[in-house]
Amino acid sequence: MLEIRNLTKIYDDGTKALKNVSFKVEDGEFLVIIGLSGSGKSTLLRCINRLIEPTEGEILWNGKDIAKADGRSLREVRRQIGMIFQHFNLVKRSSVITNVLSGRLGYVSPWSSILHHFPSEDRKRAYDALEMVGITDQAAKRADELSGGQQQRVGIARALMQDPSMILADEPVASLDPVLAHSILGYLEDINKQRDITIMCSLHYLDLVQQYSSRVIGLRDGNLVYEGSNADIRKMTDDEFKEIYGKEAVRVNAGSISGGADE
Amino acid sequence: MSNPYKVTKKPLLPPAVSAVLSLIVPGLGQLLSFRIRRGLFLLFSFVSIIGLFIWRLQVIAHREIGLQAKFVKSFSREPFFIVFICAAVIALWIWIIYDAYKTAGGKNEKGLGIFVLVLIMFFSLGWQISEINLGKMIREFPEAWPPLSRILWPWEAAVTRDTSSVTAEAAILVDDTANPPAIPEYIEGEPYIKSTPTFGKMSTLDEKNNMVLGDIIHLEGSGFEPDTLTEIYWEDSIGNEFRPRQDGEYVSLVTDGDGGFTFDLVIPYRLTPPSAVGQQIHRVQARQTSEVGPVKASEPLRLTIVLMLETIFMGMMATFFGIILAIPLSFLAARNLMSGSWVTVTIYYVIRTIFNITRSIEPMIWALIAVVWVGLGPFAGIIALTIHTIAALGKLYSESIESIDPGPIEAIQATGANRLQTIMFAVVPQMIPPFVSFTIYRWDINVRMSTVIGMVGGGGIGFLLVQYIRLLDYKSAGIAVWFIAITVAILDFVSSKIREKFV
Ligand SMILES: Nc1ncnc2c1ncn2[C@@H]1O[C@H](COP(=O)(O)OP(=O)(O)OP(=O)(O)O)[C@@H](O)[C@H]1O
Ligand SMILES: [Mg+2]
Repeated sequence: MLEIRNLTKIYDDGTKALKNVSFKVEDGEFLVIIGLSGSGKSTLLRCINRLIEPTEGEILWNGKDIAKADGRSLREVRRQIGMIFQHFNLVKRSSVITNVLSGRLGYVSPWSSILHHFPSEDRKRAYDALEMVGITDQAAKRADELSGGQQQRVGIARALMQDPSMILADEPVASLDPVLAHSILGYLEDINKQRDITIMCSLHYLDLVQQYSSRVIGLRDGNLVYEGSNADIRKMTDDEFKEIYGKEAVRVNAGSISGGADE
Repeated sequence: MSNPYKVTKKPLLPPAVSAVLSLIVPGLGQLLSFRIRRGLFLLFSFVSIIGLFIWRLQVIAHREIGLQAKFVKSFSREPFFIVFICAAVIALWIWIIYDAYKTAGGKNEKGLGIFVLVLIMFFSLGWQISEINLGKMIREFPEAWPPLSRILWPWEAAVTRDTSSVTAEAAILVDDTANPPAIPEYIEGEPYIKSTPTFGKMSTLDEKNNMVLGDIIHLEGSGFEPDTLTEIYWEDSIGNEFRPRQDGEYVSLVTDGDGGFTFDLVIPYRLTPPSAVGQQIHRVQARQTSEVGPVKASEPLRLTIVLMLETIFMGMMATFFGIILAIPLSFLAARNLMSGSWVTVTIYYVIRTIFNITRSIEPMIWALIAVVWVGLGPFAGIIALTIHTIAALGKLYSESIESIDPGPIEAIQATGANRLQTIMFAVVPQMIPPFVSFTIYRWDINVRMSTVIGMVGGGGIGFLLVQYIRLLDYKSAGIAVWFIAITVAILDFVSSKIREKFV
C-alpha cells in the first residue's frame, strides 16, 4: 500500500508544483490522475520513485518512507516500482531485448550487467515479457526502428521485468493514436487484473479514464481537488469538472476534455 | 533588453552644446544624450585610430625627432597612407560632431556609413601595420622560383645509383725547388697522371685579399675511361682534399677518345698550417666517377618514409592516450551528470576550466615544454599532442554527454539501476556515435599536427623538413612536403568516410 502524506514539491526556480498533497493507494488499484497541463501530475508520479526529490512530506510504501530512502534502499524501492513514460524513454540505439533486459538492472550483479551479461532466466523472462505484449519478433531490432505503439510495448515489457508491485505510468498514451491508446491501456489493465499490480497512471481523456480507472484523483495547480471512484467519475458533475479543469473549461462531449488553459 | 538606438531619456544638453563637446572629445556629446553605446564606440574608435596612427608615424620615421618632423618624413615615405588616414580622421571627426548635434536634437540615425568608414580605417591601418607588400611578392618571385620549383617537383632527388671512381695522383712540391718528387711510376693499363714540373709556387693572397696566381703545372693523363668527365682534386700537405677552381669554376675536363688528357693547372691557393715544417708535398688527382648498379631510393626518400611512419604513429599514440584519459575526465566535465551536489559542481568547473586553458595553448607550445621535459624526439611530440588531445576531446565528449536525451537515463534509474549501470546502459549507447566521430576527427588533426610538431623538436617528419630547409636542400624538403601532403589527403578522405558511417 502506498500512502502520500502532505507531499510538497517546490522546484529550484520557486514553482510550487505540489502543495500538501495527501492520499492513499490500495494494492491492486488502477488509480488515474487527471488534471490540466502543469497541474503537477508528472511531478507527483516522479516524486514517488524519487526521480524528483520531494521538498516535504512522506511517501509511505508498505510502511517505509520512500522520501527518506537513499543509496541501496532507494534502488531496492525503485526496482519494485516500474515506470512507463509518455515518450517511451527507450535507449534508441540499443536493441529491443537489451532495453527489456535493462529492467532487471536492479536485481542483477552490477559488474556482470555492465558487460551486458544477464542470467539465462532473465533472458527467458525478457522473451516472456515481449510475448506478453506481442512483439517477440522485434527482439533483435534497434529500439528506434519500432513504431510508437511498439516502443511503448517495449516500455511495458521493461517495467514488467522489474517484477513490480506497482507501475507508474506518466501519460503512457499521449503520443499514440486512439486505437493504440486502447491497446496499451488494455495491457496495463491485464497487468493490473491478472498480476495484481497496482497501477498509477495519468491520463488526459475522460473516456479512457472512465473505461480503465478503478479510482481517480484530480490535481489543480498542485492541489488535490478531486477524489472519486470509477462510478463517481462516470457521473461527474459540471461543478466537479470545473473544479479540476477551471471555470472556462467546456465539456465538449461526454468523453474528451477541452481545457481553458494551455495545451 | 533596451534597444541601444532607442532614446529612453531626454538629451541633457541642447544640440549646439553637444556638437561643441563632441568637437573637443569625440563621442562626449552622444554620451550626454544618453546614447551610451554609440558614444563609447565613437570615442573608442577615434582614440584608438589616432593612437595607432601616431605609433605608425613613429615606426615609419623612427629617426626623426618631434611629431611634426616625423609627420613630414612619413608623408614623403608613404604619402597615400598618410593622406588617406588624415582625411578619414577629419571626416570621422566632422561626422561625430554632426551626429552629436543630431542626437541631441532627439533624432535617431543608424549611421551605417560611419561604421563602414571606421572599418576601412582599421583595415588600412592593419594593412600598414602587418607590412603587407604585394609588390615585393611579385618582384621577388623570379628569385624564389628555383628553390620553389625544386620543392614542387623534387623527384629526381628521390632515387640514386651507387658510384665508383677511378683516381690517379701525382706528388707536387710547393714553394720550394730542392729535391722535387719523382714522377709516378707508369703501369700499363692503369689510370696514370704526371705533372711537369713536379714543383711550383702556390697561388697566394696579397694584403688586399686579391688572388696572386701561382705557377702553372702541365698535367698529362692516360688510361682513363675515354670521353668522360674527369674532375681535378687537390690534396694539401696534411691530407685535406678540395676541388680547386679556375676562373670561378671547378676544374674539370673531358678525356679524349683514348682515355688520355693534357691540362694546364694553376697551383691553387691553400693556407698552409703554421705547424707545417719542412718539405710541403701536395698531391694533384684526376678522378672519374661513374654511376653503377641499379636505381635505388635515395637517402632523403628513405628518411622521409621512415619519419612519415614515425609521424603517423605519433599521431596515433597521442590519440590513443588522449582517448583513454579524456573519457573518464569528460564524465566529470558534463554538467548534467555533475549537477548533484556542490562538490560535483566544483569538480565540474575545475575540470572545465583546465580543459579550456589547456586547449587554448597550441600543441606546438606544449611541444616546446615537453622538449624541455623529456628531451628532443617523438616522445616529446606525443606528450604535447596527448595533452592537447585530452583537453580537446574531453570538451567535445563532455558536450556530447550533455546533449544526450535524459529520458532513457530516468527510465534506467527508475528500474533501480546504480550509477555505473545507468551510465553503461543509458549514457554509453547514446555516446558511441559522437565519440567515434570526434575521435576519428581528432586522430586526423593529431597526424596533421605531428607533421609540424617536429619543427620545434618534437620528432616526426617536421624535424627532417626543417633540417632540409636550413641546409637549402630544397629537393629533399620537397620530398618531405609531398609525403606530408599525400598522407594528410589520404587521412582526410579515410576519416570523413569513417565518420559518415557512424553519424
Ligand atoms: N524541472 C522543473 N523546474 C521548474 N519547474 C518545473 C520543472 N518541471 C515542472 N515544473 C513546473 O511544475 C509544474 C507542474 O509540472 P508537471 O510537469 O508536473 O505538470 P503535468 O501535470 O505533468 O503537466 P503535463 O500534462 O503538461 O505533463 C508546472 O508549472 C511546471 O512548469
Ligand atoms: Mg506531465
